[in-house]
Amino acid sequence: MNAKANKNQVTSIEPAYYQAITEAIRKEAVQILKDETVVGVVGYLPGRRKGTASPALVTTVEEAEKLIFSPACVNNLSVYLTKAKKGVLKQGKVGIVAKGCDMRALAGLMTESQLQREDLFIIGVVCPGVYGFGVERTGTVTEANIARKCRECTVHMPEGADVAAGTHAELADLTPEEAEEMARIEAMPQAERWAFWKEHFSRCIRCMACRQVCPFCYCEQCLCDKNRPQAVESSPRPAGNMAWHLVRAMHLAGRCGGCAECERVCPMDIPLNLLNRRMAQELKELYDFEAGLTPVEKGPLNEYKENDDQSFIK
Amino acid sequence: MHAEHIKHDFEPKIVAFVCTWCTYAGADLAGTSRMQYPSNVRVLKFPCTGRIDPVFILRAFQKGADGVLVSGCHPGDCHYMAGNFHARRRFAAFRALLNFVGVDLNRLQFSWVSAAEGGKWVDVVTELTERVRTMGPMPEFKELEHEEQWSTFAGTSVDKSTVLNSPELKEAYDSIG
Ligand code: SF4
Ligand code: SF4
Ligand code: SF4
Ligand code: SF4
Repeated sequence: MNAKANKNQVTSIEPAYYQAITEAIRKEAVQILKDETVVGVVGYLPGRRKGTASPALVTTVEEAEKLIFSPACVNNLSVYLTKAKKGVLKQGKVGIVAKGCDMRALAGLMTESQLQREDLFIIGVVCPGVYGFGVERTGTVTEANIARKCRECTVHMPEGADVAAGTHAELADLTPEEAEEMARIEAMPQAERWAFWKEHFSRCIRCMACRQVCPFCYCEQCLCDKNRPQAVESSPRPAGNMAWHLVRAMHLAGRCGGCAECERVCPMDIPLNLLNRRMAQELKELYDFEAGLTPVEKGPLNEYKENDDQSFIK
Repeated sequence: MHAEHIKHDFEPKIVAFVCTWCTYAGADLAGTSRMQYPSNVRVLKFPCTGRIDPVFILRAFQKGADGVLVSGCHPGDCHYMAGNFHARRRFAAFRALLNFVGVDLNRLQFSWVSAAEGGKWVDVVTELTERVRTMGPMPEFKELEHEEQWSTFAGTSVDKSTVLNSPELKEAYDSIG
């Protein structure tokens, strides 16, 4: 796209932009708490250190007035509505702040009957991007410090939210790092690809942070924790690590919304989102399915067509 | 009828995951018809291809398989109507994943073999066995089994003889199965 053609494309996104989103979120959150549409709002409060943000469930108007949105609001909050936090929804309708990429997780969770649309009030964020991991947090978001996933974001404008906070703006001329990295791996000879992933996976310490932070890893019993029989070795050794990563990539295939939270929380810097993206790409090619913005009846691996490709079956 | 047994330098281990309704019956037919085929294949019977989890395939490779065959009913013949259709999608995705991490897909074969196709079973198993034989042993997953995290830290001061992947352990591992 011609950058000049879109006057909303800029070279840096100023704090004022996030401030405007913050105001809109506060206004909305206060309103829905006041008129008792919701019992609480899952959003972001300022973190204890300057320039950080932490997820929070606010239930009073006073707290709602402190909600923020800044480039540090990286967390995908939908994980707070699954797993152990399921109890939150029992109290009544809940508001949630969601960036475009997080909306995908909400849609996916609705597809999987983990959430009901009528239980949620979604405050969508017209999101220009968030800080990457380990970058300098300068105040403005620029090409240098924006998260990898935001470089190729297709969901700046959230769809399907109850309200949208913010106006459209995005950085101009970003190089799609993840797409380039994926193409680089695909172009490697097979043995080199194996060596690449083996090296990455062998560093995994099996802290399971990637699983805990993922909205789709909500299984009450994870296959990888089972030990009778043990399907995947649970100690951090190369064989079990390889199995763990392949199992998880398979389980997330066609479900993962691409929020890249798994990659962000990985203490060993393993490029997990490349696996997710590769699987997403494959399912798009094979079954024209994209983990999307609207809930669907069934995910691509839960349904079939009689004329699906079977050229690989003899 | 006794076919001549040729001794090869390398006898590949092939694990076959088959559904009980079609392929298992097909393999059984091959057996009762006294058809000859390589004895390298270990058959595991499942209620349906839909039950064959990709993790089983990983497990087979980790435990020493050089090749894996997954086989079930032809489309439209599934005893449970759609188990094989679901399996087909799952395995299409799984193949892509294995390929992306660098596994040679020639070691992994998917087939439809019906209860009447004893001959096809023989062909499929023979072809896969011979293909894998020419490819040689599959070292990748076995190496992972042998390795310890810290032993991969090439260029560090870690003495490899002191870590767990000792020749003795390797030998013990290789003597299993
Ligand atoms: S991927 Fe898109 S929606 Fe998600 S944080 Fe980045 S810019 Fe915002
Ligand atoms: S890895 Fe698989 S089994 Fe484990 S929690 Fe995630 S989706 Fe569930
Ligand atoms: S697998 Fe990673 S990127 Fe995908 S939804 Fe889970 S945390 Fe997000
Ligand atoms: S977060 Fe990283 S180190 Fe931890 S289990 Fe996941 S991949 Fe392994």
